[in-house]
Amino acid sequence: MLNENEVLKIEHLSIQFGGLKAVDDLSFSIRKNEIYGLIGPNGAGKTTVFNCITQFYKPNKGTIEFRLKNGGSTNLVDHKVHEIIRLGLVRTFQNVELIRELSVLDNVMIGAHIDFKASMLEQALKLPRARKEEKALREEAEEILRRLDIYDRKDMLVWGQPYGILKKVELARTLMCRPSLIILDEPAAGLNDVETLQLAQLIRRIRDKFDCSVLLVEHDMRLVMDVCDRICAISFGRFLAEGSAKEIQVNPLVQEAYLGSKEEEHA
Amino acid sequence: MNKVKTQLNFKALFKNPYVQFILFGLVLSTLPLLSIQFSFIKSAYITTVGVALIYAIAALGLNLLLGWSGLISLGTAGFMGLASYISAYLTVDMGLPFEVALLAAILVPTFIGILVGLVSLKIEGLYLAIATLAVSEILRKTFEEFDQFTGAFSGKSAKFPQLFGMFQLDRGSTYWLIVFILILVMLITYNMVNGQIGRALNAMRGSEAAAQAMGVNLLKYRLVAFALATIFASVAGVLYVHFIRYSYPSSWTLKLSLDFLAMIVIGGLRSIYGTVLGAFIVFAVPDLFLKQIPYFSQLSYTLNGILIILVIMFYPNGIVMIFKDIRLWVLKLLKKGDRNHVK
Ligand SMILES: Nc1ncnc2c1ncn2[C@@H]1O[C@H](COP(=O)(O)OP(=O)(O)O)[C@@H](O)[C@H]1O
Ligand SMILES: [Mg+2]
Repeated sequence: MLNENEVLKIEHLSIQFGGLKAVDDLSFSIRKNEIYGLIGPNGAGKTTVFNCITQFYKPNKGTIEFRLKNGGSTNLVDHKVHEIIRLGLVRTFQNVELIRELSVLDNVMIGAHIDFKASMLEQALKLPRARKEEKALREEAEEILRRLDIYDRKDMLVWGQPYGILKKVELARTLMCRPSLIILDEPAAGLNDVETLQLAQLIRRIRDKFDCSVLLVEHDMRLVMDVCDRICAISFGRFLAEGSAKEIQVNPLVQEAYLGSKEEEHA
Repeated sequence: MNKVKTQLNFKALFKNPYVQFILFGLVLSTLPLLSIQFSFIKSAYITTVGVALIYAIAALGLNLLLGWSGLISLGTAGFMGLASYISAYLTVDMGLPFEVALLAAILVPTFIGILVGLVSLKIEGLYLAIATLAVSEILRKTFEEFDQFTGAFSGKSAKFPQLFGMFQLDRGSTYWLIVFILILVMLITYNMVNGQIGRALNAMRGSEAAAQAMGVNLLKYRLVAFALATIFASVAGVLYVHFIRYSYPSSWTLKLSLDFLAMIVIGGLRSIYGTVLGAFIVFAVPDLFLKQIPYFSQLSYTLNGILIILVIMFYPNGIVMIFKDIRLWVLKLLKKGDRNHVK
């Protein structure tokens, strides 16, 4: 069961692909307004954990309790993948999943999909309710773009934008649904040091402004160490350690896991 | 001062997409009047242009499916044919009003279209193309075999529509009905693709993972895409049979389904005007002009093929983009002119 101050609690999560245990009996929990980091070397199972939380994969075992906006809680495993966002949980993707042929603004508007109340008929005929809704949500999207400093690109196609902008657009899209928990898969991948630093500030600002929790995955330690309140380290799908950035950095198990993988990479 | 203001208002008015659609409709509606006024526009042209506009309606449905949703169908002709037979049968044999026949001729094919949509969740790409082709061919076989319903190879005849049981249309006024419905379909398509539905379809095509994460129910929107495509094809089928006043099994072959594909690829994927343009290029141009030239009448297949290749190479977003380029080019020239003036 969820404690008072928790938004997400994963218990005994396991999933296998063929013989490979990608996630093995993993448990951790995230508190309200916390920025929580999940780290581990490449192939540790971080993205798989994300896919289990968001129901892209159905775990073989374990529960994922999530705090609802009305204060109750639910086991995410009981929901379909497209229902997850309605609960207040939204994600980004490791390889940025945007629609190239749409403008920046329209991409952000996709994040408002669940907010539309007008029926298809009302939309097809552009009846007043559909018109009003579209306008209000468009203004909200523009406001979010302003906050992320990409308002001036709102009418440009996503196609051809630099990687840093794409990451921001994806982040903006998650904010449209007024989430209580955002999960980010390697948000700093592909960014340089300056951009990573800005991203860290942005994530903190989002947490404060939008009053939500953030779960972020990184295999690169720079961002996590900077921004996370608590960190969980995993390796080969198994729990290694949990604690503050400092505690994790000096943890011998974590060091070994990273060192081990570094040696493999060199080999 | 006042004059400048009204001029500006005019400009804004013409930029309004709804005004543009209505103007486009008005331009199309002048054709029957022109053919009375000027003898060089033969009245047969009305038939050709009318059929091109009917095809444009079906092609818009296919564009929603392929262009916006990324789903393929080679079954458009079959659904269009089914609707044409249903409407002919209900009005001629059963004596039902045109409006009732229209409704039934939309509902039955759309039901089948939705079943195909259900299948589309399991199969994709080439396999979906083959499955829809199979459905279409089964339908065509049915048109050939069920002769008390379809008249088999001798065809099924129908009359010009009678609206509200009172207004008997003739060829010219049926043409106007076609224009009216085409503009309506264009407006509805415009509204949908520029709102929540269109973004959901776009997301489904662009990234299924992102679509699902943003709450788009893939099954629902696949069904929506197939239902819309079938509704548009059915409307086109009904208009066709009451305009040409005949439906033959040989009108609903794979060739026609491929023509629809050619229309949207040549005219412009995800472009409303492009689809209409494509229907003209693929159907009306060969019929109006190329038939006059010896040998060329047999070449429309080849010509479509060549056009598709050229378009994909030079205008991957469709020939409709040529207009944009021309506009930019003219604007550039005008600007140059201005600058010279200042000097
Ligand atoms: N859909 C899948 N099918 C088979 N194996 C998978 C699948 N998804 C992930 N894996 C495997 O699970 C392990 C963890 O992968 P992943 O979660 O992507 O790691 P990380 O995100 O930590 O780099 C890898 O060995 C990967 O090959
Ligand atoms: Mg990963």
